Amino acid sequence: MLSQARGGRAVQYLIVLVVAITLNFFLPRLMPGNPLALLAGVDVGLLKPEERAQIIEGAGLDRPLGEQYLRYWGDLLQGDLGYSYRQKRPIVDLLMERLPWTLLLSGAALLLSAVVGIITGAISAWRRAKAIDLSLLWTMIVINSLPSFWLGMLLIAVVAVQLGLLPSFGAVTPASGYSGWAHVVDVLRHAILPVITLSVISVPDIYLTMRYTMLGVLGEDFIRTARAKGLSERRILFAHVIPNALAPVVTVLTLRLGYAFGGAAVIETVFSYPGLGRLIFEAVSGRDYPVMQAAFLLFTVAVLLANLLADFLYPLLDPRTKAA
Amino acid sequence: MSATVPPLSQSQQHTAGSIRLLARPSLRRFRLTTSNVTAVIGTLLIAGLVLTAIFADVLSPYPPAERVGRPFARPSAEHLLGTNDIGQDILSELIYGTRISLTVGVTAALVTITIGTAVGVLAGYYRRLGSILMRLADIVLVLPFLPLLIMLAAYLGRSLWNTVIIIGLLSWAGTARIIRSQVLTIVNQDYILAAQGIGATHRHILYHHILPQVLLLATGQFVQATNAAILLEAALSFLGLGDPIQKSWGTVLYWAQVRGAFLTPAWLWWVLPPGLLIALASLGFALIGFALEQVINPRLRHNR
Repeated sequence: MLSQARGGRAVQYLIVLVVAITLNFFLPRLMPGNPLALLAGVDVGLLKPEERAQIIEGAGLDRPLGEQYLRYWGDLLQGDLGYSYRQKRPIVDLLMERLPWTLLLSGAALLLSAVVGIITGAISAWRRAKAIDLSLLWTMIVINSLPSFWLGMLLIAVVAVQLGLLPSFGAVTPASGYSGWAHVVDVLRHAILPVITLSVISVPDIYLTMRYTMLGVLGEDFIRTARAKGLSERRILFAHVIPNALAPVVTVLTLRLGYAFGGAAVIETVFSYPGLGRLIFEAVSGRDYPVMQAAFLLFTVAVLLANLLADFLYPLLDPRTKAA
Repeated sequence: MSATVPPLSQSQQHTAGSIRLLARPSLRRFRLTTSNVTAVIGTLLIAGLVLTAIFADVLSPYPPAERVGRPFARPSAEHLLGTNDIGQDILSELIYGTRISLTVGVTAALVTITIGTAVGVLAGYYRRLGSILMRLADIVLVLPFLPLLIMLAAYLGRSLWNTVIIIGLLSWAGTARIIRSQVLTIVNQDYILAAQGIGATHRHILYHHILPQVLLLATGQFVQATNAAILLEAALSFLGLGDPIQKSWGTVLYWAQVRGAFLTPAWLWWVLPPGLLIALASLGFALIGFALEQVINPRLRHNR
């Protein structure tokens, strides 16, 4: 039964992937304007005649739409994400160059926001309707209303510029010649502000999930039984409540892992951080559509993998399914 | 409960507003006050912004698009929030921006809620169509939201309408699921079966029995969708994908970013105020939504 449900999920994810790829194929071809320009990502007039012929030939623009579609799939299956005529480089290289930076930012932010979100959520639920619960709840509601990029801009203005404590842009100091330990410190110093911004805006989601699930667990019969047995509050919290509340929270965290990739687009732009999100922004403002599309595909795959991971982890973490 | 509630009203007690009585009195009072405070603060915030939007031409000292001062001027008696890179009055830009940001947010939320409610009601009422529609909703929910939003905005071009349509087309799925689950609990109730039994048409049942019942839930969803749409519009405009002529709060921040205002003291009057306005609008709708949810969702009344 369980494996059947999981099989159904896998099919659904496969459908999503097909939809994303199909969207990618049709968007530049059905938009008003010259598809050649949209596929090239540069002004057609700037292309050399042989480049132009190469694009038309490569995408099969002179062929019927069905054949173009099949060819598009064929290229993708061979791992060919296309070529950026603007940057004069294969798109795969561009993506791979940016990926580690986004992984660094979103990984660190996920870890930080998970720790803060789980702890504050647990405190809130445990002290429900007390002053600390209400103030945490209000704080999270306010944070949820802040535009993330604005928070980043304020941090730069205050911490980086006014106080001069941290660098305001980029991932490393340009032409610094740092190596070894000095390089690591440099990278970390550049990552602090974007990671803080990303973490702050991620905390409310995790907090609310933790608080809500834990309130549910606290109302269950086995907690009452544990109390009746005379267990200490501490023991009840750590042995009974938290393990039972963790599964949904881990699901939220895993899903965030997938979305963090694309969600960082705005933050990376503010900090001029050379990750994938910033790449999307650069591609959009430079009209380098093929790069934008490839990045979208990569994000889709990341989200789907995160979903698969979440489906896989949930039964392992939920004590109730373990017993069965 | 049976001790305090007179037996005559018991049959009514199990319907609509009765669950409130099940909660302990002390907790009930607490919840009522917090939800009142949130509702009042939220309403005040939104009312203030709506009035600003309506009376923008009266309130703003200058026409927002006109070059009325020296570029990059600091705040002064003539220009309370200084001027931007081409000498437009920032305060006037923000007052008119309220119009744009609120209109886009509310309109996008209307699109979201219209699609979401229609899909949800149809999916809950017609079983077979429902499973197809919910598959579609699942797909929309899984696709990476922000990158898709950015990509569509880039292809469709920069205009207020495009922003509204893109946000609406990508945000309905969550609402559809919630509405559908409510419709599923309605369709099996006796009076629906009775209506079907005496030969009422599907159209009649959908319009007269089901739609009125989900409208309250849809209202709650609308408020939350407005909150989300305002933040999304701001993010899109900040990335340079907003309408270039009709400036929203997000567009003002985009230009502040492009001109590096946050690297100079100008962040105090060029970056801080527009973001604050976005946050206040979002907070206002969030608080109203929060208070509405306490009224709409009996389970929350119970659990919180």
